[in-house]
Amino acid sequence: MNVLDVLDRNLVKVPLMHTDKQGVITELVEIMAKAKGYSSDQFEDVLNAVLDRESLGSTGIGNGIAIPHAKSDVVEHVSLVVGISKLPVEFDAPDGQKSRIFFLVLAPSKEASAHVELLASIARSCTSQVFRRMLEQSRDSDEVVRLFME
Amino acid sequence: MGVPFKQIVVYLDGSESSMTAIMYGIKLAKEHDAKLTAVYVVNTRALSELVKAGIFVSIERDEYQRDLQLDADRYLRHASRLAQQKQVLIETVKLEGTVHVVMKELLKSSKADLLVLGGVTDIRSRREELASETDRMLRTSPCPVLVVRDDDDIWLEFEA
Repeated sequence: MNVLDVLDRNLVKVPLMHTDKQGVITELVEIMAKAKGYSSDQFEDVLNAVLDRESLGSTGIGNGIAIPHAKSDVVEHVSLVVGISKLPVEFDAPDGQKSRIFFLVLAPSKEASAHVELLASIARSCTSQVFRRMLEQSRDSDEVVRLFME
Repeated sequence: MGVPFKQIVVYLDGSESSMTAIMYGIKLAKEHDAKLTAVYVVNTRALSELVKAGIFVSIERDEYQRDLQLDADRYLRHASRLAQQKQVLIETVKLEGTVHVVMKELLKSSKADLLVLGGVTDIRSRREELASETDRMLRTSPCPVLVVRDDDDIWLEFEA
């Protein structure tokens, strides 16, 4: 399982509208909920799962990247939403740097292995500073998808 | 090296393609009267990397490690059931560590003469090239490797 296995241009948003942590997380979950046709209860379940995880410690990992994630049996399979913000968002990253690149990863509890592999794949993909810069400068979802395909 | 094969090892990772591989491995073991082993490796290295990268907090790593153990048990039980359906003896092995490293050790210690893998990933991006554990096993295996394409025909034939 890697990013390209689950990357879907309909689940990529450039730019994100919100400029605060809670707003960005909500926006990312909304993108997923809209694309998958979740009910408002399902949306709330997923959002709460992500916020509960966030309460354990920030998923801002530094270098301008945040990877909010959670297990939720609302989702059928491991899923990914990518969002790029024009403005840096305070995400409590350990390096103190604000985030502009966001990956929301959701997985059902029965797909732990794929969940772990996808998170590792995202971490690997974003080790390159040049790649991160190109992601931050991408203008639309097609460009984000193209960058991952290169 | 033994031809026909006498010691076949199938690597399971929970993917659909690895399920196809176990079906193929079972049929192959039956035809060759070979010893069959199904292996699942709990990727503890990936978990540690996620903690190091700051993606997982330690409590989360422990929780996911338990989930991965459950995944392993579930898929190995499934492999046993499939083998039983075809009256093939199977040994199931659960390991932990860096997948391609512990698999290489197991293949050597068990004197395996064939490793059966599900499909390797398509190369769609330079970044992901050679990153998958299946790809690494393919390249580092001390014994011949059979890559089973994820094919509906194998499922249909198995279930027939």
